[in-house]
Order: sequence, then C-alpha cells, then structure tokens
Amino acid sequence: MLRNYFKIAFRNLWRHRVFSLINILGLSVGMTACLLIFLYVRFELSYDSFHSKADRIYRIVCDIKTPTETLKPNGPSWAVGPHLMGDFPQVEAAVRTTGDEILVRKGNVKFQEKNSIWADSSFFEMFDFKLVRGNPHTALNEILNVVFSESAAKKYFGKTDPIGQTVLITGDGLTAKVTGIMKDIPENSLIKADMVVSMNTITRKFNPTLNDQWGNYGNNTFVLLKPGADAAKFTAQLPAFLERKNGTEMKQLNMYPTLYLEKMRDIYLRSTRDDSKTGNINNVYIFSLVAIFILLIACFNFINLTTARSAERAKEVGIRKVVGAGRSQLTRQFIGESVIVCLIAFIITLAASTLLLPAFNLLAGKTISNGIFESKGFIAILFLASIAIGFLAGIYPALVLSSFKPVTVLKGRFTTGTKGILLRKGLVIAQFTISIALIISTIIVYNQMNYMQRQDLGFSKDQMMVIDTYGDPARNSFMQAVVTMPNVKSVTMSSSVPGGGNPGAYSKIQNVKGEMQIANLDLYFVDWDYVKQYQIKMVAGRDFNRSFQTDTTQAMILNEAAVKQFGYRSAKEAVGRDFDQWGRKGKIIGVMKDFHFRSLQTDIKPLSMRIEPNGCGLVSIKVSANNLPKTIAAIESKWNTLIPARPFSYFFMDEFFDKQYRSEQRFGKLFLNFAVLAIIISCLGLLGLASYSTMQRTREIGIRKILGASVPNIVNLLSKDFLKLVAVAVIIASPLAWYAMHTWLQDFAYRISIGWWVFVVAAFAATLIALMTVSFQAIKAAVSNPVKSLRTE
Amino acid sequence: MIRISDLEKIYRTEEVETIALNKLSFQVNEGEFVAVMGPSGCGKSTLLNILGLLDDPDSGSFLFNGIEVAHFNERKRADLRKRNIGFVFQSFNLIDELTVFENVELPLIYLGVKGEERKKRVEEMLDKMQIMHRRNHYPQQLSGGQQQRVAVARAVVNKPKLILADEPTGNLDSSNGNEVMELLTDLNEQGTTIIMVTHSEHDARYSHRIIRMLDGQTVTENILV
Repeated sequence: MLRNYFKIAFRNLWRHRVFSLINILGLSVGMTACLLIFLYVRFELSYDSFHSKADRIYRIVCDIKTPTETLKPNGPSWAVGPHLMGDFPQVEAAVRTTGDEILVRKGNVKFQEKNSIWADSSFFEMFDFKLVRGNPHTALNEILNVVFSESAAKKYFGKTDPIGQTVLITGDGLTAKVTGIMKDIPENSLIKADMVVSMNTITRKFNPTLNDQWGNYGNNTFVLLKPGADAAKFTAQLPAFLERKNGTEMKQLNMYPTLYLEKMRDIYLRSTRDDSKTGNINNVYIFSLVAIFILLIACFNFINLTTARSAERAKEVGIRKVVGAGRSQLTRQFIGESVIVCLIAFIITLAASTLLLPAFNLLAGKTISNGIFESKGFIAILFLASIAIGFLAGIYPALVLSSFKPVTVLKGRFTTGTKGILLRKGLVIAQFTISIALIISTIIVYNQMNYMQRQDLGFSKDQMMVIDTYGDPARNSFMQAVVTMPNVKSVTMSSSVPGGGNPGAYSKIQNVKGEMQIANLDLYFVDWDYVKQYQIKMVAGRDFNRSFQTDTTQAMILNEAAVKQFGYRSAKEAVGRDFDQWGRKGKIIGVMKDFHFRSLQTDIKPLSMRIEPNGCGLVSIKVSANNLPKTIAAIESKWNTLIPARPFSYFFMDEFFDKQYRSEQRFGKLFLNFAVLAIIISCLGLLGLASYSTMQRTREIGIRKILGASVPNIVNLLSKDFLKLVAVAVIIASPLAWYAMHTWLQDFAYRISIGWWVFVVAAFAATLIALMTVSFQAIKAAVSNPVKSLRTE
Repeated sequence: MIRISDLEKIYRTEEVETIALNKLSFQVNEGEFVAVMGPSGCGKSTLLNILGLLDDPDSGSFLFNGIEVAHFNERKRADLRKRNIGFVFQSFNLIDELTVFENVELPLIYLGVKGEERKKRVEEMLDKMQIMHRRNHYPQQLSGGQQQRVAVARAVVNKPKLILADEPTGNLDSSNGNEVMELLTDLNEQGTTIIMVTHSEHDARYSHRIIRMLDGQTVTENILV
C-alpha cells in the first residue's frame, strides 16, 4: 500500500511538473529562509550560554541618584567587587574587568591590542574561557601577568612556546610575563578579549588604594553566587551593604547609588546599559515573526495549489473509492503526498542553506554558524518539522479530497465548493497582507537609515582623518610636523570625537537660580582649534581663544542641551556662570549649537568642553581631497619617525560615525531580503492559482471570445478577482505595518514621520507585481484560439 | 441476492424537484444477468449508484444478501462494496498515473491482500483478459477495447459476487463491444451476478432479463431465457 502511495505521488509530481516546481520551490525557499533566520535567532539567544556557571553569574550594575537626575554608569565603584567577597558568604567569586587598548611589543612586532581587558584573578575560574596552556587558577595572580588568545599569541611568538616569555605592554613599555594561552573567545561572548592582563597590576602597582575607592564608578563587576543562593535576597541586602561601607560619602556628595543584578545570559539582549546591550531582543522577535510569516506564506501556497487542483484529482478519488478505498486510506494517501513534497523541499533546503550560509553570515555581520550540520539534533528537529509541515499543509486538502462523492466526481458533475474558494481567497489575502506589510516596513526602515545618514549632524565630518596616539608624549611634535604638510588644512586634538565614547564628569554648574547644580556632564577635552575645525557653531559667548590666558584652565563651553538642563531660557544667560568640574573651577565662556556627538538613536545630551591638552589623545587632521594616498603616506612616515613604538593606524570621521548604524543597516538589509523572499513566494502561489483558474475557465474564455470579447476584456476578467484580493490585503496590511513600524521607530530619538506615500507606494508595488503575475497567464489564455479551447472540453 | 422495495430518490435544487426513483421495487437472484434499459433521465444511473452503494436512497428498503443496507454509513458501505461489488464504467475510469498492472492490483491492495498473492491474482486475471503483454503500459497507451478489458479485470479481480456495468460498450466500436459482452457473459456463467445499464438492444440480448424503466419506475420486465 505504501509503495503504491509513493508511486502515485511521484508520478503525480512528475506529471504536473510546473505545479510541483512551484510547490516545492515555494516551500524550499520558505524553509530555507526560516532555517537561516532560526540559526540567526538561535545565535542571538546563545550569548554567554557556553559558561557552565552562566546561571549563577551576575553583573552588578549601578544607578546613581543625584538631586537632579539618575546617572547610569556602566558599573559600580571599584570597591564593590572586593568588598562583596568579604561581606557575603553566598558570593563565591567576584571579578572586575576593564576594557582597554593596550600597546604590546615583542621585538619588532607591535600591535595596539584593541580587545584587551584587565581582569581579576578568578576570571578563568568564573568564566569558561579555556586555557590551552597555563593554570586557570593562578594565571592572573601576580602583577603584569598576561594571557593571550591563541591567535594573538601567534602574532608575537609564532611557533615558539609563549609561556614564561615576556612582552612589553602599554606606552611605558612595562615587562609582562605570559602565563597562559586561551582558546580564541567565541563570537557569542559578551566579553571579547585577545589579551587579558592581571587586574592586580592596576590595584597593586598603578593605584594601590583603588580597591577601597567608593566614589570611582564605571567598572564592570561580575559575581558568581554559590549554588542555591537566592539572587533576589542578595540584591535586597545590597543597600544596607552600601550604607555600611560608604554611607558618609554618599551623604557628602549627595549621590546615592543603588546596586542590582543582571543575569549574565541576559546582558547581551536585555541589559539596561546601552553600551553592553549590543544585541536587540526586539530584532530577535521581529525576525522570528518574519520567519514564521514566510513559512506560513509557503504553507498557504501549498494548501492553495493542492485544493485548487483537487478537481483534477477528483476522478482518481472517485475510482479509488469505487474499488474499495475508505476515507481514512485516502486521507493518509494525500497527507503522505504532501509529506513527500515537504521532504523533497527539506532536502533542497539543506542544500540551499549550506550554499547560502556564508553569504548569510556576511549579511548578518557575524558567523552565526559554521555549517547547518553543526548540530545534528537541530537537523533532526528540522526533519520532523518538515514532516509536521507536510502534515499540516496536507491535512486540509486531504480532508477535502477524500470527502468527494464518487458518484458526483465520476459523472463529471464536479465543481469545487464555495467553501474551498473562500478559503483560497482568505489565504491569498493573508499572504499578500504579510508581503505588503513587509514592503511597507522595508520602505520605512530604509527611509529611516537614509534620514539618519543625511541628517545635518551639526559638525563637519568630511575629509577628517583621525589618529589615536593613545596619549603618546610625542603627539605634540607629531601635530606640529603634520600641520605644515601641503595637503593638510588644519590639525587639532581632543579626548573624544563624535561617534566614539566620551567620559561623563561629576560637575557642579551654576544654574538659573544661582545654585551650584550637580550633574553628570558629558565631557570633551579639546585643543584650541577643535570647535573651529569641526565647524561646530557657537550660539552665544565665544570659542576658546589663545589670547585669553585663563582659557587653558578656567573656561568651559556648554552645548544648548546643557544650558537647558540648568534652567536657562536662552544661551546668552548661561555665559559667564560658574563651573566646578574634576578639580577645575572657572566660567562658562560660550554656548555651542547642539551637534550629534552620538548616533541619532539617542537624544543630544548635555555636553561640556574644556581645554586640557594632557587629556587629548586623538589627533584630527583636516585634509584636502587632492592626492589623498600621498598625504596619508606622508603622515605615516612622519609617525614612524616620531612615534616609532606604536603602529600607525587611522580612520576617517565619516566612516567612523556611520559605523554606529551598521547594525541598523544590517537589519535593513536582512529585512529587505526577507521581504523580497516573501513576495516571491506569494507571487509563486498567485502564479499557480492564476494559471489554474485560467485553465478551469478555458471553456468560458472560448465562449466569451466567440461572442466578441477582446483580449483586454479577457485579461480584465481574469485579473480583476485577484486584484480585489490584493486590495483587501492592502487595507489590512497598512494599519498593521503602521503600528509595527511606529513602535520600531520609537527606538530612534531622531526619526522620520511615516508618510501616506509609503502606503501608496507599497500598494502600487504589490498591485503591479500581482498584476504582472496574473496577467501573464491571463494574456496567454486570452490570445489562444477559442475553437481549440472549446474542443478540449 | 438483491431485493429492493419502494425505493425513492429525489434530487432537489432550489427551484426544481426531480424524482429520480419513484417507489421502485424489483429483485435480482444470485447468478442472474439483468439488463436495465430506458431513455435518458429515467433513473437508470441513480439505481445503479444505489445498488453499488455509492449513493443512498431517500426512502425504501434495499436488502443485499438479506441485510438491510439502505442506511449504512459510508464506512460500512465502503467495506461491503470492496468485498462484494465490482464496477465497469462506460468511460473505463482507469487511473492515468498507474500502469495496467497497478490499476488491476488496486482493489486487492484495499482489501489487504499480501503482495505475492496479489501478483499471482493480477497476473492470472491479465492473462485471462489477454492483456498480459500490456501490463506495464499506462491507460493512455491502450485502445478503448483494451482499456475496458483492464477495467473489467479490475472489477473482477477480487472475485465479487456482483458486477455493476454502466454502459460498458458505450465508448467502444462494435467488435470491441462484443468482446466485452462475451467477457461479461463468461463471468456470469462462472456464477457472478451482473446488472448492466445499457441503451443498446444488442447488448441487452446477452442478459437473462431486461428491466425497462421510465420516470423512475419499472415499466416492463422481459425474460429472455
């Protein structure tokens, strides 16, 4: 019996090659998209799950309440980690980590290691970063102990054994001993490091009081709780702990920190700190939804085409019933056929996904998977899933087909019921609703991207080359040498540039009432010409000026946002007021127009600027567009003579700033791809249905033509019904897409408003695509010879 | 073997009510060969469908081997049908996707006959019908007469007690038609009961008895033998 089913299934597929192709292709495309998205989602959800103690590891974060605002530094004070260890028996270990970019030299080999961290000694016990050499319990015990990743070690030591060897680290050239080699940290890790240096180097050598500093915030602190310890109970004890340790200072500064825990596994997607939340749980949800939608569209095609073709299978059903088939046997046969189609699609999906995975990794911007066969269990699940899809997609057609009365179908009195037609219409509407919603969303995503990139940022980023000197003492002579070069227009220095991070400073600024108001102000240390070179506009007061001697220590420039924060109604009012920041006191000399020093996703925050040459490590060089390679080569050669210890590297401001939008751009690209896929699958289904309904109406078309209908009449007749469905889909999709994208846009402080034209364009595009799909069949039918079509009846 | 009494079947559409069978009664004994004749629309096909358990009557009684089957549900009807009744149609009704062999094999599959036994019985039957050499052909590759022989082979392969034939020669030329009638006569002589609907007086003469119908009722019965 089973063999008979298989036989007839394959012969049927082969006989109706075009329909089979549409069915299998649609399902394969849908399943492939679904599989790739699934891999992506799985990867996003897998962050930090490889730590065997992940469920017991928490990061401590800290909100600080000041009289006027709540500050959200990246971590608690330096003292918290070590003191928790002493005070709480349920804390098994505490590890602080601090990111850095450390200069490493070994003989002639030198690299600025961009992913370096300083970490406490239990780092390798708490986290599952495997040491291939060295002892995880002791590798970071002493000062100046270094652990490299395998690939970093290769750069410095080649094939020789690195253990026990030394390298020179930091600009000061400290001798550090290599005590371990770790496996390269996997991509789905929040902590990314090619080099780990013992935190003891900082707390014992650089700053011996650091372990007891309660007012110095911003350190990443992780705790490992003992098995069975209650995290909520632990959190509840933290306020008393702070009060006990640091109560006096809190009152004195009027800054009240609160500590709470973030589960290690949740940081990547759900952290309240933007700097750590590099993933986005909403995107995970959105893509999961898109995957389900695409699969649904493919399944709908399948159901639609199969039920539409049921008239053709009706005779077979009739005969089978007459010779003794029961309904359940027929149901099984048709579900079996559907499962076979899905299994063929499954095999194609495996092949297609394997081929597409590298491209998809590229599109996603990370290696979400090295191969779809990485996890055998997952393939098994997919296999079962395709059987399930076959079952689900096949069950309705199977029930319809098996319910045919042999008397009716064998007499040729068979017509497909109105119920079936309604269902097919409903499914087509659902498919196009999803497709149109995806088109609308894609247009909006791209518009927003475009908007962000074209927005006037309030500063000039063109032809601006930036070099990080990491505060090298020779940077002044380097600047002086560069400024005289022919294609260099101007040179300046600063601690930060737009699009990069900048420190927040505990500041007191005189507000409109004359009080010294406490605030955490974003701070740029700059050089004299910074405002000028970046073409930041002044709206009140003046720019820094070399002729005012006091400007070096006693002058500050605020932006408009800051002025507003301190209650001034106009920028002018703020000029001449007092400031007290990080040990410097003086006057506010000017107010600059707000400029976007962060991405357009965030509001422009209050910002202060001060002259502080010692704090400036970034050299910005405004170059002329002519002969750029030669200019860069000249600058590099100057660097190599003046700062030979450090490798030369640079970036251009415009690219650097746009980098912030990379993940949004990826999101947009992925979205576009899947929207196109959804439309293709929908159209495949529409093509199948249209050609089928045209075939069924061959006789009608013939009669109409004999009675004088023209080709456009016929095309109109055949297309009208489908276009109505698309119109209904537009009406349903528009508000849904509007709502979804309205919500999505809330993530952007600066965003487009959704114009009505978006919906018109999407509706027009969908109609056009549907019309082209349908009219292809309709025209074919309309131009055919009516005599021929009547004879076939 | 078959006893129907006061059988009624009415087709209703929104505006028209058509009485297909009007209190029809007759009886067919085991081993008989009965022809049913009458003009188009007299209810012959409706009768055949009800006799073949493909359709159920609105009222009246239908005894099949002494069992009342008029209101059997679909499952029971299918079961009775596949064990006892074979069908031969005017338009052959072979499955285009299956070969000659597979078409004939189908009833045995649904009866649950084992593979080897099936092969034996199908081959025996194809041999008997002289279409063994065509066993791997598809229906479209055969002539009309050959197709009808396959259809007859399929109808009798599970040794049914009753064969219902609906204009078995309607789509055939006269020599092929005669061949099929000879086949049916042979089967009848071996003990199979046959009820055949036909327009052809020629074909009707192969039977033992002719039932003539008009407007859903029997008009006359001629006994030929």
